[in-house]
Amino acid sequence: MVFAQTVVNGIVRNQKSELVPGVNVYLKGTYTGTTSASDGTFELLTIDQGLHTLVFQSIGYKTLEVSIRLSGEKIELFPLLREAINELTAVTITAGALEASDENKAVVLRPLDIVTVPSAMGDIIGAFQTLPGTATVGNDGRLFVRGGDASETAIFIDGLKVGNAFGTTASNVPARTRFNPNLFKGSFFSTGGYSAEFGHALSSALSLNSVDIPMRSQGDLSIMGIGGGYSQTLVGENNSITASANFVDLAPYQKLISQNFDWERAPQSWDAELLARQKIGNNTLLKAYLHTENGSMKIWQPRPGSDDRGTLLGVNNRYTFTQTSLKHTAVNDWSFYGGISYSDNIDDLSADQIQISNRNRLLHSKAVAVKGLSDRVSIKTGFEHFLFNYSEALAEEGFKREVADHQWALFSEADLYLSNSLIFRTGIRAGHSALAGQSWVDPRLSLAFKFKHEGQLSFAAGRYSQMPLEEFRIIEPELNNTEAVHYILNYFLSKNGRTLRAESFYKDYSHLINFEGQRFQYRNIRQRGHGYARGFDVFFRDQKTFKSTDYWITYSFVDSKRQFAGFQSMVQPGFAPRHNASVVIKHFIAPLKSQVGISYVINDGYNYTNPNLAGEMNARTRGFRDLSLGWSYLPKPNLIIHLACSNVLGRDNIFGHQFSPTPDESGRYASLPIRQTAPRFVFLGIFLTFSKDKTANQLNNL
Amino acid sequence: MKKQQIPVVLCLLMMSHSLPSLASNEAYQKAMQLEIIQLYQAGSIDALQKSANAFTRIASMNPDEWLPHYYAAWAYVHMGFRSQGNLKEKDGFYAEAKKHTEKAGKISTNNSEIVALQGYIIMGELSADPATRGQQLSALAMQTFGKAISLDQENPRALLMMAQMEWGTAQFFGQGPEKACGLLQSSLALFEKESATVEKESLKPAWGKEYAEGLKAEICTN
Repeated sequence: MVFAQTVVNGIVRNQKSELVPGVNVYLKGTYTGTTSASDGTFELLTIDQGLHTLVFQSIGYKTLEVSIRLSGEKIELFPLLREAINELTAVTITAGALEASDENKAVVLRPLDIVTVPSAMGDIIGAFQTLPGTATVGNDGRLFVRGGDASETAIFIDGLKVGNAFGTTASNVPARTRFNPNLFKGSFFSTGGYSAEFGHALSSALSLNSVDIPMRSQGDLSIMGIGGGYSQTLVGENNSITASANFVDLAPYQKLISQNFDWERAPQSWDAELLARQKIGNNTLLKAYLHTENGSMKIWQPRPGSDDRGTLLGVNNRYTFTQTSLKHTAVNDWSFYGGISYSDNIDDLSADQIQISNRNRLLHSKAVAVKGLSDRVSIKTGFEHFLFNYSEALAEEGFKREVADHQWALFSEADLYLSNSLIFRTGIRAGHSALAGQSWVDPRLSLAFKFKHEGQLSFAAGRYSQMPLEEFRIIEPELNNTEAVHYILNYFLSKNGRTLRAESFYKDYSHLINFEGQRFQYRNIRQRGHGYARGFDVFFRDQKTFKSTDYWITYSFVDSKRQFAGFQSMVQPGFAPRHNASVVIKHFIAPLKSQVGISYVINDGYNYTNPNLAGEMNARTRGFRDLSLGWSYLPKPNLIIHLACSNVLGRDNIFGHQFSPTPDESGRYASLPIRQTAPRFVFLGIFLTFSKDKTANQLNNL
Repeated sequence: MKKQQIPVVLCLLMMSHSLPSLASNEAYQKAMQLEIIQLYQAGSIDALQKSANAFTRIASMNPDEWLPHYYAAWAYVHMGFRSQGNLKEKDGFYAEAKKHTEKAGKISTNNSEIVALQGYIIMGELSADPATRGQQLSALAMQTFGKAISLDQENPRALLMMAQMEWGTAQFFGQGPEKACGLLQSSLALFEKESATVEKESLKPAWGKEYAEGLKAEICTN
């Protein structure tokens, strides 16, 4: 036998003609191979004969296969490698998006950052209020995004819609999110231009993703100035279960610290939660979640121009949210996810002798399929069904009314990577409401380009539809969608521990609701309202410049005018201050085992209508200011003591004025300012973790 | 190949149909032995890349063996640790290492060595950006090493890396190195046992003893 030795050599380059070192060059199906040198050259010796495949493989490039015939004659090759789309470093669409997760891409905050913002007091939404595009509306507590009211933000858990995500409160008592921040491993908060997957939201979508399988079995005990709770997690090989119960009663706290409000019964609540996860095989994860709670309060609301205690308002809220979701990764780049969620909110409200009950239920089902056609193209298609059911009843008069609507939605979205630095996303969302008898199609488009310096520019546009609130539809069932069109231009750069994000936007509203009268007594509901919101915001975060220090600065400018609700003319809404800014600073002091935090939030005041003057929205409060401090002390790895105080300077923030419905003898309408519930809120909590792993703690809970 | 296996080999040789698989097994053993020696000597990113490529080639020829993927991942982790580049470059190496440990883990499930190496990759990611990843990843790394230890209490590498993490935690909380030293002590005893029982030609992971000795000398008093 004669061994003919063949030499294969050459130089590997990429499409930009750059030399590529470290390429794995080998004959397929043999041990024969080599690695390209730093100048891209390679040389391979083989005694194999005949037709073979030579493979070129390298990180960041598509694998190239070349057919060669080995015959003893020298072969020279000059292959060109094509760039592969790299999930870690490719461009992402950042227009409108504020992502908080532990994954590496285009992230503004991490979950832990959110919960340690001093002014947040452990409420997820409190932390989002230090992000661009949001406005702090201290007497409401919910999320107000870019001139939109709170109902324009939809909240999702694991992709499924949450009805009544905030606790019910009396008017001017701020609401809190019902859900514990440590349930979530990440969140996606969009202030506009979001994907076709999210509907039923005019301004904003907040998608919270729950943890998969927790890391370890542990028990968490929390003792707070205002209540306490216990949570137990058990983790098995392929499953886990967490059960927790909490109670809050502000009565002892309010006895200690004087309040601006006249409470008959301080807010009290309890909640219980069950969370189960099951892995089925390597590719399927099933999650189930149940949250149920009960909260109540009684408060005297003063009447302008009167010296008595005012009206006694009572709130009793029962709430249940449950959902099951499934994620499955299949072969051939198919993946599937979906689930069912059910929210049930019952409010028993009283105002002096009047008793009103209302119940809001939402059933949401969703199924989504994602197919990767190549590393450059993927298509997501989904189907959704919503069942809305709302009823209200006047107990005394035996009066009851109800409204129900079935809605269907179909969405499809394609992602197309033209290269690692250019992506297009187009989507379409079609919907139908049985009650309104309306069908609609909303197109969405976004694209992003990544520069050499790693900064990226994104643009997003789309139309967004949302049915009016049930409290209107119960009176006028045939109301159609309210609509908004978004245009967003965004610049995003995250490099060396610093993040800069600048965004400008324009939002055009149409078919907004107009009415006369008040809640439960709306009259003459029409849909001729319209308006706009435009502006820009800037976010800068720096974790590098100062040792052990992380800070971020946010400024949002919103110019919004709309003709809506009971207004006759185009007005700047009371929930849309023009100038909003916040600063959050966190510093870790190692010798003291402590993290200290400061947050400062400021805006230029809230508009309101003063009936003693001509016109609407003719007055403005002085600017809102809040300086909050927080201190977390870790004396032992499994023990945290957390102390936080809002509005340390005790500024008397005013959110508007309440006027008497009729003028007094001198013809003037008497007024009372709408103030904070108390000058300050002091939070003291002790969090203890029991686990075999002594380093486990509840830092995530703060 | 072990000497006592030779009669078996002769026996198998007589059955002609098993010949190709046997030949390939021999080629596998030889290729692996050669590459493992080179891997442990690799002193630069280029040399590690060469090793990683070689193990990737061996892996594609032997889809039922977990060790080629294990060593390819090992090479990539060390490229990450050695890299002087930016975060993106380091993460690129760790991502490649993860791909190989995932493949290894699918071939050999509940393998303490693979899980320990996965923990090692997490340590790499952590050290690339401790300020932002510390809290999240240190807990994950310790949990992963804990799992590796529970899968095989005789795995000295899992104990060694757990000791390293414990030392980091103790420093953070201003505590002494006792716990880390205890783990190092047990780890070194297991390394002794390993070098006494495992054959020179074995392909199994056998690294870490020198590092354990160095760490012990650095932090433990006795």
